[in-house]
Amino acid sequence: MKRLMRFYLPLLLILALGQGCNKDDKKDPDTSFNRVVMLEHYRDALIKPAYSAAAAEAAALSQASIEFTANPSAEGLNNMKTKWTATILAWQKACMFNFGPAAEQGVKKSLQEELSTFPVNLSKVDQILAGGTYNVNDFNRDARGLLTIEYVIFGNNQSSEEVLQAFESSIRKDFLNALCADVASRLLAVSNQWQSYGTEFVNNSGTDAGSSVSALYNQFVGSFEAIKNFKFGLPLGLRPGQIAAEPALLEARFSKISFRLAKAHFDAIAEVYRGKDESKALKAYVNSVTGGKELVNTTEAQLALIENLFDNQNVNLDMEEMILTNPQPLIDIHTELQKHTKNFKSDMSSLLGIAITFSSGDGD
Amino acid sequence: MFGLLMAFSTLRFVWLGWIEDHYTDTIFHFHYFGFSWIEPLSSPALYVVHLLMLLASLGIATGYFYRISAVVLFFTFTYTELIDLTYYLNHYYFVSLVCFWLMFMPEPGSNFKLPAWCAWLIMFQLGLVYFYAGLAKINTTWLLEAMPLRIWLPAHNDLPIIGSILALPESAWVFSWCGMLYDISIPFLLLYSRTRSLAYLLVVVFHLLTGLLFQIGVFPLVMIGSTIIFFSTEWHHRFLALVGRIPLAGKAFRISASQDGNGYLNTNFPSWLKFMLIVHVAFQMLFPWRYLLYPGNLFWTEEGYRFSWRVMLVEKAGDAAFYVKDSQTGREGLVNNREFLNAHQEKQMSFQPDMILQFAHFLGNHYKNKGVHEPEVRAEVYVTMNARKSELLIDPEVNLMNVEDGWAPKKWILPLQP
Repeated sequence: MKRLMRFYLPLLLILALGQGCNKDDKKDPDTSFNRVVMLEHYRDALIKPAYSAAAAEAAALSQASIEFTANPSAEGLNNMKTKWTATILAWQKACMFNFGPAAEQGVKKSLQEELSTFPVNLSKVDQILAGGTYNVNDFNRDARGLLTIEYVIFGNNQSSEEVLQAFESSIRKDFLNALCADVASRLLAVSNQWQSYGTEFVNNSGTDAGSSVSALYNQFVGSFEAIKNFKFGLPLGLRPGQIAAEPALLEARFSKISFRLAKAHFDAIAEVYRGKDESKALKAYVNSVTGGKELVNTTEAQLALIENLFDNQNVNLDMEEMILTNPQPLIDIHTELQKHTKNFKSDMSSLLGIAITFSSGDGD
Repeated sequence: MFGLLMAFSTLRFVWLGWIEDHYTDTIFHFHYFGFSWIEPLSSPALYVVHLLMLLASLGIATGYFYRISAVVLFFTFTYTELIDLTYYLNHYYFVSLVCFWLMFMPEPGSNFKLPAWCAWLIMFQLGLVYFYAGLAKINTTWLLEAMPLRIWLPAHNDLPIIGSILALPESAWVFSWCGMLYDISIPFLLLYSRTRSLAYLLVVVFHLLTGLLFQIGVFPLVMIGSTIIFFSTEWHHRFLALVGRIPLAGKAFRISASQDGNGYLNTNFPSWLKFMLIVHVAFQMLFPWRYLLYPGNLFWTEEGYRFSWRVMLVEKAGDAAFYVKDSQTGREGLVNNREFLNAHQEKQMSFQPDMILQFAHFLGNHYKNKGVHEPEVRAEVYVTMNARKSELLIDPEVNLMNVEDGWAPKKWILPLQP
């Protein structure tokens, strides 16, 4: 018994000391990154401005639609196209914040799915335009949203005159007005809800599943992967089982701004990573943790490489034509996006200790 | 006590909607080696299984239909765990083991006397869990680099009061050493009557703290509840008598306040039971050491990692890119994993070689049915471990369709860079 005590007493002392040490070490905790400041930066400098800009563009689009359908003209149609382009470009800066007010709620899908599902189901839309019924709240998300509006105002390889002529149909007018009003009201609702949700967002500053950091991060990574998978991979035919390129799967193929949108989306993702103020964003957060500096360097090098590949192309290039004639530069972008995935996805979440799953137990 | 914990755990699982999330909303399930025949039932059937599990837990807690309850609990719980390897947790394995032995333990009589072997077996199992978990922490990464706690602790710097402590660089070392010493010594401190009360206090503090810091579900409660068994029989009788005095509770739990006699029931148990106990104890002591038979870094290859009480030891994450190639046309495509897996499955698969292999085989068969000729599947898997720069886990050129899983060392795993 004595021997036992001799063994355990020091052990207990060490344990006690260990606990004691903890209590004494309260001074200067400024070594830690301040996630509240980071979340405030995202809310005030990126998320709220992005949603209110997109909502404003969508409201202008909806107004233009009312004016155009009241008195269809070539000028009005052009105005519609301009407003639509401005809206979908503004949306690229908001689409990765697909959580909180933008998240799926009950039967309502997430804002991203409601607004920018593609490819559009052309036969469904044609059926509506031929006199079928529609409901902007049903599950036919591939027959509404920004890319359905695109199909209705640009047409599928139709001249402006042909499209304008088609607007003699009152169904087409009503449908366009309904689509534009739907996009505008959904964006406005989310933009408004951020006024109150913003406080909750900043206060929920942990890193567990359900925290703001986890939500922001997971949607950011998901949005990045969507560029790779859906804006490049699928239309280029780079998915297993595809036997050829499928340009019909391109986003925004009727307006021929697919490449411009993909680039805007990628630039917006890079901006989310770096922040408007580099000292308050994800990049700075990564930089502050063990092993972070190296990852920041790797990430910046790869981002620069991809940005360079985008810049080497004319931003207004027609992706559909390029896929069929000279796809290699696009395949290269896809390859480099894939190489970058680990930097954003696994390396970053691991270094930051952010929960990427919804339930407990990472190996208990 | 155990029964109540299980009932709580089952309710929590169903309440959180995990039946759908884990088992029925996914296309593919990762199987345990040797249990590939286990498939999830339909969603309603799984609810029935969980209802049975709940009833059985309550049966064990109250002593009604004890034997049937124990058998039902063991099979329903173990079945549920075996559906998908993604959700493997050491404490679920522990629960399964305990449930297994509950089937063989005599029905508790009104005087609540148990044969000594029952208590000793559970104490052995608990002690082993702690001791082996402690042994596993004795390595340079854990003790000298304070990894992975140096990643995990600062992530919680927002907690009130202790948050600022967690952010301190020194804390990770203190926590690492305390954790190791705690795990190694707690079984002995609990066994020794003089230190027992203090040890139990440590158990409660330790598990509450880890429960607060990490997403580990019911594990802290399981351990806080289970370690009570180390207390003497007199203590248990006093405890039960106390419960018995509470109106209704006494009736519900078939406790009579008039407990007499101390100590354990003396029974001579049959030789088959003796044999099973010896096999069990030997297996439990030896199986965790199988990793010594495999080359390479255990934490990197994970060969012989599971079922060995290695808990919360390493921070790993990976990105697994699968390429499927049509061997006739030569056309190769990149898989979108999320088409087949949920976020949890993808995360777990991306750094565990056996799961990568299973998924590769699934993909090969899937695309074969979709018309890809004799698909070749390879995977580029970058894994980061304990904040190291990520590197390739497996050979990206190996056609995984030609590889079968087994006990032999996996030669297609690349060694960890020095």
